[in-house]
Amino acid sequence: MRPFNPLYIPEVFFELLPFLPVTVLMLAGSVFFGSLLGFILAKAKVSGRKLSRLLADTYIAMMRCTPPIVLLFIVYYGLPELLLSTTGLDVNSIAKGIFVLLTYTLLSGATMSEIMRSSYESIDKGQWEAAVSIGLSPFQAFYRIMLPQATVVALPNLCNVLINLMKDGALAFTIGLIDVMGKGTLIISKNFGAYALETYIAAALLYWGLTLIIEKSFSVIEKNLSRGKRSIAE
Amino acid sequence: MELDIKFMVDTFFLALAGVPATLSITGVALIISTPVAFFMAISRIYDVKIVKQAVTAYVSFIRGTPVVLQILIIYSLLPSLFNTIIKSTGWNINVFDINPIIYAYIVFSLNTCAGLSEIFRSALQTVNKGQLEAALSIGMSPVQAYTRIIIPQALVTAIPNICNLTINLIKGTSLAFMMTVKEVTSIAKIAASYGYNYIEAYLDILIIYIILCSLVQLLFALAEKHLGSYKNIRGTLVNAG
Repeated sequence: MRPFNPLYIPEVFFELLPFLPVTVLMLAGSVFFGSLLGFILAKAKVSGRKLSRLLADTYIAMMRCTPPIVLLFIVYYGLPELLLSTTGLDVNSIAKGIFVLLTYTLLSGATMSEIMRSSYESIDKGQWEAAVSIGLSPFQAFYRIMLPQATVVALPNLCNVLINLMKDGALAFTIGLIDVMGKGTLIISKNFGAYALETYIAAALLYWGLTLIIEKSFSVIEKNLSRGKRSIAE
Repeated sequence: MELDIKFMVDTFFLALAGVPATLSITGVALIISTPVAFFMAISRIYDVKIVKQAVTAYVSFIRGTPVVLQILIIYSLLPSLFNTIIKSTGWNINVFDINPIIYAYIVFSLNTCAGLSEIFRSALQTVNKGQLEAALSIGMSPVQAYTRIIIPQALVTAIPNICNLTINLIKGTSLAFMMTVKEVTSIAKIAASYGYNYIEAYLDILIIYIILCSLVQLLFALAEKHLGSYKNIRGTLVNAG
C-alpha cells in the first residue's frame, strides 16, 4: 500500500480553493430560486383552493422521496430530449450549471415551502388581524408584520436546508460540473488515481469549513433578529 | 421523446430486485447506530469530559460534509487498510473479495449515528427533569427510569425526526452504486447502459423510491399513533373527568 501522505492535503486544498465560488454560486442560486418556488407552493397551500393545495402537496411529497442524484440525472438527460421533441428547442449546448441550478431549485423549493408555511402558521393570527384593523393593506400587513416574525422562526430550519443543499450540491460532479468536488475528481484522475484519499480529505475539510461558516453566520443573524423580537414582547 | 414502455416495465421489475439491498443498508445502519447514538446523546447531555468534545466534533464533521465524500473517503481508505491489517495478522482472506455492501453498511452507519444522536439528544431534553426525579424517588434504578419512563416519552417526540432521517437514509443509499453495491439505482443504471435508455431507467428508480418512502412514512405515522396513544388516554380522562 502506498503510504498516506498528509503533506499533500494542504497542497491540494489550495488547488481546490479557487473552485469554492462555483459551489457557493450554485448554492446561492438554488436557494434564491428555490425560495421563489417555495413561496408559490406555500401560498398555494396556505390560502389556495383545493386543487392548488392538492398539486402542491403532491409535488412536495414527490420531491421529498426523490434522491437528489436521480432528479439530477432526469433533469440533465431527460429535459433536453423532452424539449427537443416537443418544442424543437435544442438546449444540449447550455452550460451544465443551468441544469444543476434547475435540479436544486426544484428540490429546495419543496423543503423551502414547508419551512415557510410552518413558520407562517406559527405566527399568531391575531397579529394579522391587528395589522389589518389599524388600516394596513394586506400586503403591508404581510410584509411589515408577518414576514419579519416568520423569518426569525424559520431561520434554524433555513440553516439546515442550506447545509443539506450544499452537501447535495456536491453530487453535481457526476454530470461534469467543475465545482470543489468536480475539481477534486479531476485532480485524482490527473494523478492517475493516486492521492485519492488525500484529495477527498481536503475537499471534505473545505465543505466542513463552509458548513461551519454558514452555521456561525446564521446564529449571529438569529441573535440579532430575535433581540428585536424580545424588546417588542417586553 | 418516446419512452420505451416495454423496457421501462422490464427494468422496473429488474430494479425491484435491488430493493432488499437498499432496505438492508437502511436497516443495518439504523440498528447499528441506534445504541451508539443513544450513548453519544447521553454523553453530550451529561457533559462527559473528552467524550463530549469528541462526539461534538464527529457530529459536526459528518453534518458538514457531503455523503458522497464520506463514501469516497471510506471506500478509498478501508479496503487497503483492511488488507494491511489482515496481511499482518497472517489470515488468508482476500479483502477485495468482500461484498462491497459491507462498506455501505459502515459508511451509512457512521453517517446515521451523527444524525440520530442529535435527534435523541433533542428528544431526551424535551422530557421534563421531574419525570426522572420522580422515577428515581419511587425506587426505580436509573436504567429502569430510562427504559420505562424517559425513553417512551422521548420516543414520541423523536418519531417524526426519525422518519425524516430514515427517508433521507433511503435516498442516500442511492449513492451506494459508487461502491459497486447492487441496489435499486445501480441495477437500473446497468440495465440502461445496454441500450442507452437512461430516462426510462431513472423514471423507474424514481417510482421505486417514491413507493418505498411513502410506505416508510405510512409505517412511521402508524408508529406515532401507537406510541402517542398514552397522550390520547390522558386526554380522554381529562375530558371525562
